[in-house]
Amino acid sequence: MNCKEARSLFSEFYDQELNQEISRTLEKHLAGCIECQKEYDSFFNKILKVLNKLKTYDIPRNYLEGMKKRRSKIVLNDKK
Amino acid sequence: MKADEFQLIKSAKEGDREALNDIFAREQKYIFNLMIQLTGDGALADDLTQETFLLAYQNMNKFRLQSSFRTWLSKIAINLFRREYRRKPKHVSICLEEIRIPSKEDIPERIIIKREFQWCILHSLQQHVPKKYRMVLILRDLQNMSYREISETLSWSISKIKTCIHRGRNILRDHFINGKCKAFAEKDYLCICEGILEL
Repeated sequence: MNCKEARSLFSEFYDQELNQEISRTLEKHLAGCIECQKEYDSFFNKILKVLNKLKTYDIPRNYLEGMKKRRSKIVLNDKK
Repeated sequence: MKADEFQLIKSAKEGDREALNDIFAREQKYIFNLMIQLTGDGALADDLTQETFLLAYQNMNKFRLQSSFRTWLSKIAINLFRREYRRKPKHVSICLEEIRIPSKEDIPERIIIKREFQWCILHSLQQHVPKKYRMVLILRDLQNMSYREISETLSWSISKIKTCIHRGRNILRDHFINGKCKAFAEKDYLCICEGILEL
């Protein structure tokens, strides 16, 4: 496996979507290639992990309440 | 789909108001966060979340229980986002200029810089990765959806999902490296954050 082939598989490797055999071949390549290791660590192990850990936001209001109001308006309009 | 979710949805479809409220309430935070991640705009995310639930309510009878309820709701949300995006003008870049990395002893300042890095990464994804790839990356890397769930949500084949994840991540990476984001513009960008992202 050369570097170009290895890098084309990084995404599926990170997502654990590769079969065992290809996965092992890629692991071997990574163990022996510093450039590919750097590329993988800096982007996949840093940038993507940041995305994974971003905070979540609380909802600013209860959407079901708003929906009830909209629903009652629809009914009122229908009655007119 | 879990057994209790299946039962709740079945009851909701048969007109049980309490079951409907329950199943909707469980997903409010998830849909609001998905919308924030897709749009990067709290007010717009708020409007689109409201619209998602209204549409879901009006179309409950069309939900065939073939996917999870969350996947079905995400599909409605994504379609609203796609519609909204067609109206929006293209973003003008406002990336970080230069970042001075604080020393290892200066923890409070490193934490602030870490937040800026996080903002920059999310901003790059939201504003500089084309919509098609952004949707896939948000579902995968922020929402942790499996390839199969993304395929159901977007109605795309698994192989298209794989290609888009791969290309989308390359675009995001290239944006940092070639970037308008100077913080990542160094040739050897590995050392730029100096461990700050791992704080």
